[in-house]
Amino acid sequence: MKHISPNQVAGETAVKMPTRRALAKQQTRAKVLTAARRLFSEHGYEGATIRDIAAAAGMSTGAVFANFSDKSDLFREIMSDDMSALVESMREAAGRGRGVEDALLKMFSAGYAFYKTQLPLARAAFSVSWASQDGPVLRGAPQVQTLHDLIVEQLTLGIQRGELSQEAEIKLRSQMLFDAYLSNYPQAIFEGWSLDALQSRARDQIRILLAGARRG
Amino acid sequence: MPTDLESPRRHVARNPRRASAAADRASGPRQTQKEATRNRVLEAARELFDTQGYQGTTIREIARHAGVSVGSVFTTFASKGEILSQVMEERLDRLYAELDRVVPHLRGSTADRLRSMFAIHFAFEARRTKLFLSHIAAAYDWTLPSSTKPFGRTQRLRDMISDVLAQGVADGEVDPSADLLAMVELLIAAYGWTYHLVVTDGADVKVMTAAMDRQIGLIADGFRPRSS
Repeated sequence: MKHISPNQVAGETAVKMPTRRALAKQQTRAKVLTAARRLFSEHGYEGATIRDIAAAAGMSTGAVFANFSDKSDLFREIMSDDMSALVESMREAAGRGRGVEDALLKMFSAGYAFYKTQLPLARAAFSVSWASQDGPVLRGAPQVQTLHDLIVEQLTLGIQRGELSQEAEIKLRSQMLFDAYLSNYPQAIFEGWSLDALQSRARDQIRILLAGARRG
Repeated sequence: MPTDLESPRRHVARNPRRASAAADRASGPRQTQKEATRNRVLEAARELFDTQGYQGTTIREIARHAGVSVGSVFTTFASKGEILSQVMEERLDRLYAELDRVVPHLRGSTADRLRSMFAIHFAFEARRTKLFLSHIAAAYDWTLPSSTKPFGRTQRLRDMISDVLAQGVADGEVDPSADLLAMVELLIAAYGWTYHLVVTDGADVKVMTAAMDRQIGLIADGFRPRSS
């Protein structure tokens, strides 16, 4: 019995200490992510260095590397958080649509609204997506696949409701719709297009891409 | 990953070509040397962008491969983006000169003429696919001056597609009420997208051309006249 007491103390501290440490680690991660988000937005992916990010977060580069293996790891985490939120808002918007065209438009508009406030970050993501090393990783992110699936889902519903023909070539059409959605970002980034302009362009594109699959 | 240490703010001449026109009259030999430097830089850059991509290439490396100082690169070019822009402009001049000759003689439906036109693009770019990927990646570069023309801001491609579609309207193959501008943008987006296949699947010119053909078919479904 005399051994129990020391063991209990050790047990308690063993439980408590990691929690506090985990909490501190979580706060450190959050601080790094906030600083990184700002620097990627201001200087782009290439322009932001780990050293700058560490300085902005008020810590050493070593502390950053203790939490993230490299810059692309850090960037991936930021994009992953954003894209999860993006997927949810696009899914919700699609659910409010009346018919396939309207659902797709509402979905795309939700996407534009989401990123309109953080175009510099979107720009950094597009730039990375064309790099031969990090590009496939970003493009293969599960959230990207989910977004694609959301489009497929709307087209499938369109067929079930009889709006689209059975031979709607869902695979190709959904990929082209997704691509059309993405292709409008450069205009938003470089030419400062308004949300209305983006929506109107997206509406035209959706109409063209659905036209061949319309029944009758 | 290497980082471009040279800030574009360091550049000296805002418009080197115009600035050198006056210098030309003042000192011929210096101008010739400057032209030679320019060509060497462009040649070195073309090789590096094609092997290492846009992000993986630094101005410092370009200077080293060209056998000139970093400083002399900056007296001619404002930034890495501008060097690439010049490289691509010279290449695209040749592509579009070829297309100007060929496109008026293309036969077949509007969709087929578009297919032929893009097939020529792929055949041309496939010789240096990674250079073209650099060209697309540069469209998102922070430091690009407004004078540069990354992918998507190429007016000649836009004009050429518009001409083919306008001909299609005249031939009764394209719905006159169709939104031609949106069609042009969709085709350019599809063209750009097709290059992803190189990044993700290592696609060759045949695969890319086939993928584009299918996309053109789908867009053509959208512009066919609605009449029964």
